[in-house]
Amino acid sequence: MKKLWFCFKKDLVLSFKSWYIYTELLMAFVFIIILLFIVPENFDSTRTIYAYFDLKPAEMNRIDEFINESEDEIILLDSRADVVDILKKEKSSIGMVVSKQYRQLDYEIILQGFENEKLKTLMKTDFLMHFIEETPRYKSIVTTTTLMGNNEKLSDRLNMLPVFLTMNASFMGLFIIASYIFLDKERGTIRALTVTPLSVWQYLLSKVGLLVMSGLVSSFITAIFVAGTKVNYIGLFFLLVTTNIFGSVLGLYIASFFKDMASAMGWMYSVIILLMFPSFSYYMPAFSPLALKLLPSYPMLFAYRELFFEHGNISYVYNVCLMFSILSIIIFLMANKKFKETLTI
Amino acid sequence: MIKVKGLYHSYSNDDKYAVKDANFEIKKGEVFGFLGPSGAGKSTTQGVLTGLLPIQKGEVTIAGYDIRNPKKEMFNLIGVSFEQSNVYDKLTAYENLNFYRKLFDVKTRKPKELLELVGLDHVANKKAGEFSKGMKHRLTFIRSMINNPIIWFLDEPTTGLDPAIASEIKEIIKKEKEKGVTIFLTTHNMYVADELCDRIAFIIDGEIKLIDSPRNLKLKYGKKLVEVEHFENDILKKESLSLIEPKDKARLNDIITAGNIEIMHTKEATLEEIFIKVTGKELK
Ligand SMILES: Nc1ncnc2c1ncn2[C@@H]1O[C@H](COP(=O)(O)OP(=O)(O)OP(=O)(O)O)[C@@H](O)[C@H]1O
Ligand SMILES: [Mg+2]
Repeated sequence: MKKLWFCFKKDLVLSFKSWYIYTELLMAFVFIIILLFIVPENFDSTRTIYAYFDLKPAEMNRIDEFINESEDEIILLDSRADVVDILKKEKSSIGMVVSKQYRQLDYEIILQGFENEKLKTLMKTDFLMHFIEETPRYKSIVTTTTLMGNNEKLSDRLNMLPVFLTMNASFMGLFIIASYIFLDKERGTIRALTVTPLSVWQYLLSKVGLLVMSGLVSSFITAIFVAGTKVNYIGLFFLLVTTNIFGSVLGLYIASFFKDMASAMGWMYSVIILLMFPSFSYYMPAFSPLALKLLPSYPMLFAYRELFFEHGNISYVYNVCLMFSILSIIIFLMANKKFKETLTI
Repeated sequence: MIKVKGLYHSYSNDDKYAVKDANFEIKKGEVFGFLGPSGAGKSTTQGVLTGLLPIQKGEVTIAGYDIRNPKKEMFNLIGVSFEQSNVYDKLTAYENLNFYRKLFDVKTRKPKELLELVGLDHVANKKAGEFSKGMKHRLTFIRSMINNPIIWFLDEPTTGLDPAIASEIKEIIKKEKEKGVTIFLTTHNMYVADELCDRIAFIIDGEIKLIDSPRNLKLKYGKKLVEVEHFENDILKKESLSLIEPKDKARLNDIITAGNIEIMHTKEATLEEIFIKVTGKELK
């Protein structure tokens, strides 16, 4: 135990003198800056309508009412030509021209041209509905029922945090720990350690400890800046520890098969890409094939998300922690066994 | 202290052996030298003996421990110095030693004392990365003796060092030998082998060709030579003559009779000459 501590202390000192640890911190800061200053709290779903109304002032009263009620932002222009001109610049907007022909109102919707049929139909229906709702004695009988127990939704900004935390734990750790091992191999320092009473597991565990520590620091900083008090920090601590251990022991196990970083790169990369797939399900819950659910990053993403909900399912989080602890022990033992043969070759 | 029986090692795990059927025993307190040219398999043998390379075929015991399943405590008893220095560049010389000593469960030597031994005390707080090659080599060397090993493995301890430092290192090795430390050393320098070793193994292409003491080797294979420098018709001539060959003996007689001798001395065959004679190859 004492040796493990000395080894860890040495690794910690050395890590501050190499740039790997700073990469992780830098990544965290870049992410914080992007989330806080570039990504809006919620992505804007209202659109802007540029409109021209060719009506007499007396008839504009009704129009003002319409504008105030609308969810979309409506900007009035002076002619149809102005509408067309501005649409050429504002590619995500649409235009509307309303004029009076004899006794009926004539609506013209001007689109960009790249909208698909589905959208056009949708807009047409939307307009029709608008008028139907205005007719006397109209009654809607549509009711909405939510099937999911917890229908809490995170803001778009918070919703990105679980993805970052998963990446930080499972991908960064995986890469950095392998880099540390291969650096020791390349410099030959590992050979000097092997001819002392230090055990291979002590050497490996010290590296895992280092990675967990840097993972905790960078993740906590990110969570504090982006989510503030809207996190269950105790749960976050345990999930960070277990998932970071998992990521680093996975990196160890992959590294144990190779003699240098160059030859391990292909596998490392493939594993990371594979682990990124569950984020599709995360953003599109409808797309959750079993193959994705079986990947470890799937429960990781969803467990992290629970922590940011006001009424998150904490027992799910702790189950995931338990699962990663067990997996990590198994993988660590396998890596230790393999490294006993390959560490000094 | 060290027993090696039928040891083979192949890096490619086939029959291209870097070490072939090595057999030897090293007694307590003995200095045993592996002498051979580059690529002979010296470092490979040391690698297997210290557990760095897996043992594929054969038997090795170090201080009674079977190297196939070495107990961690065995490493308290041995010290290993490497051909290529492998210290932490980002740590100072002192920090390197101070970290290393904590890995042992036995009494260790003070880093300061060791640094003084090889004249590195004035740069104790300098990062090893800023050291010259020779300085790093010395640091690697003293690190290997920090746990007072009773078996000491030295891979090319003096190679690449300037003569003054090399002789300092040799003195340190001799002192440890006097303390009764068993030493396995590899070198391709026959002077080093001659000066330090009780017994020498000639190794070439992975095979041990012969094992004997430097003295016996010289007696067995060395031929007595006389070197003379003399004037013949006012020209200085230099000749090496055997004291055994009749033709050479007669020639020597003539030179002595003529009486124009400037310098004359007898010369022993060097280990290098013996190595070439035994193995048919040079020690390069
Ligand atoms: N890591 C390795 N992988 C494959 N082959 C190796 C490796 N190390 C050494 N060899 C080969 O094994 C043979 C013996 O090498 P070894 O390093 O033991 O020689 P050596 O006697 O120590 O030479 P030197 O005096 O140059 O240090 C050589 O043919 C070498 O090419
Ligand atoms: Mg060598």
